[in-house]
Amino acid sequence: MTNHPAFSSRAVKIVFVTLLCAPAFVAAQSSGGARNAVTKTAKKDTKSAASTKGGTTPRTPDGQPDLHGYWTSESFTPLERPAKYAGREFLTDEEAEAAQKAGLQRAYDRTYDDPAEEPVYDSTTFGLTPALEGFSPNKRTSLIVDPPDGRMPPRTPEAMARPRAIGDRDYIEPDGHGGGIVHADTPRDIGVRTTCVSMSGGPPILPGAYNNGLHILQNPNYLVLQAEYGSELRTIPLDGRPHASANIHQWHGDGRGHWEGDTLVVETTNFRPEATFRNANPKTLKITERFKRVAADQIEYSFTIDDPSTWTKPWTAIVPLHAIKGPFFEYACSESNMDVVNIMAGARATERAAEVKAKGTSK
Amino acid sequence: MNLYLRKIVPTFVTIAAATLILTAVKPVAGQAPAAAQNRVPTPGQFPPYKAPHTADGKPDLNGIWQAFVTADIDVQDHDAQAGPHPEIMGAYGAWPGGQGIVEGGEIPYKPEALAQKKANAEKRMVVNITSDPHRHDTGDPELKCYNPGVPRTNYMPFPFQIIQGTDTILFSYEFARAVRTIYMNPNDKTIPKEAPADSWMGWSHGHFEGDTLVIDSTGFIPYTWFDRAGDYHSDALHVTERYTPVSPYHIMYEATIEDPKVFTRPWKVSFPLYRRMEKNSQLVDFNCTEFVLDLLYGQYSKRPSK
Repeated sequence: MTNHPAFSSRAVKIVFVTLLCAPAFVAAQSSGGARNAVTKTAKKDTKSAASTKGGTTPRTPDGQPDLHGYWTSESFTPLERPAKYAGREFLTDEEAEAAQKAGLQRAYDRTYDDPAEEPVYDSTTFGLTPALEGFSPNKRTSLIVDPPDGRMPPRTPEAMARPRAIGDRDYIEPDGHGGGIVHADTPRDIGVRTTCVSMSGGPPILPGAYNNGLHILQNPNYLVLQAEYGSELRTIPLDGRPHASANIHQWHGDGRGHWEGDTLVVETTNFRPEATFRNANPKTLKITERFKRVAADQIEYSFTIDDPSTWTKPWTAIVPLHAIKGPFFEYACSESNMDVVNIMAGARATERAAEVKAKGTSK
Repeated sequence: MNLYLRKIVPTFVTIAAATLILTAVKPVAGQAPAAAQNRVPTPGQFPPYKAPHTADGKPDLNGIWQAFVTADIDVQDHDAQAGPHPEIMGAYGAWPGGQGIVEGGEIPYKPEALAQKKANAEKRMVVNITSDPHRHDTGDPELKCYNPGVPRTNYMPFPFQIIQGTDTILFSYEFARAVRTIYMNPNDKTIPKEAPADSWMGWSHGHFEGDTLVIDSTGFIPYTWFDRAGDYHSDALHVTERYTPVSPYHIMYEATIEDPKVFTRPWKVSFPLYRRMEKNSQLVDFNCTEFVLDLLYGQYSKRPSK
């Protein structure tokens, strides 16, 4: 850690504390979670074993591949392939290491560049743990694998003309000087995330700046995906039932899952117009996700976005999910939402100040 | 009958198969239940019942469940009332009367705590959202679409779903998207015994006693209430819940509430949970945060210029 010259002294202090705590974590890790599940299953279940790169696929008592546990979608790999890697699907080992280091550095910078006395978003405590614990870097140059150029297909003219979803609006309009004009006349101007109406949780599952954890629970009839960020659940029936009526719109869509061999496939439709992925058309968007446990500590997760009224063809990305140590804490967002009060009170104060100034100049 | 069934039902049979066998053997092995089945049921009484088990041999409580009591209005016996703003809400906004769920009828408040309960009730609709913890001083958390806490979350007039995994059970509630994770594996060293931080829905460990799921929850923030009548608790709240399947369609629910800061002794609530039997039943989002934005933050909205 100390060979990162850019860390501030405070950063070093925090990293040091993290290191002090490390032995406790290592002890806990070796006795828990994924590793145990593998050995247990391997002993119990020999005939249904399917071989993977990581060994035997762990299975639930009813024989399904076991997706249970705590995972992270954290990644420093961009969704779309940067121009400098055009024509290349994979990085070299050295490039991948460097990208991981650069990603960590960006997270530290984000944390400690904040002028506040204490970091507001401390990526070093709730964002980076998985990377610091050393999951192997993703060698892909982009999360998107199809189209083969690693970039989203062009948007349709219809999509280009579509106004931005009301719930997804941004309350800050950049002014070109690093600041912004705040539009916060009513709480509805602030967008669904900041007002805690709906935080995230997919589909699709895509890494953000922090809180990328995912808790998976399954039984023969349901798959449950719980996002760490917002604690929001997706409960997906696996019993072959049809989608809910087109008149029912769920904040995370209406998902239905089934097994194709050892891969769990989830198809989601019935999205809310306020919170549709990348301003797609909630009526025509279908997201197909695939979960395959490829190693004791990894699920290969991919998603395909299919919305002919928004993109000229479907596109697919692969996001590796790495095992992490649980559990997660409750994310009671609205209960402690100070942001909306402060943003709106700030907007009113700014308006009052402008009024006072205007009166002053007119006299 | 129970012993007989335990012998003939191997752990790997599916729920459906178990149900079939139950039905098949009833007339032969179970005289009393068979007779009871043909009578009009007596409320509060269930014939002997053995729950089906999951593939890993645990009692199977999976399903969508709902309480049909009016305890969210008042956990004690109460009359119907007009509700807020009857001049516009009419019968839409009126609150039904109902019998309470408190064993013995009375909540054993300490005298000063009873005064606080009454003050809560008087200010249940006084909402003042500040950017500090004083936002929790007044106003029923239900009104603000906050996590309802335990045990209130179980008798909200909304369904909830129990989903059993291998080492955890999730409770997913329609109201306010509340979630509880119940840790079922006492040997998992990665799960702290004590709550790592206080929370609205508590920190819960569970185990089975026979067919009964017993959940022990602590680590609560002191801001949730038990009902609209202002019944409340402190951060010393300790809830022990017992979920006992008593038929394929019912779970008897019981919660023991301990909080020495507020009550003179532990007290109990109990009521049945009913399985939702609609075909393809599923929870439909009740994301009420969206519906309370103006209630919570309207005081900070822009007013038309004078």
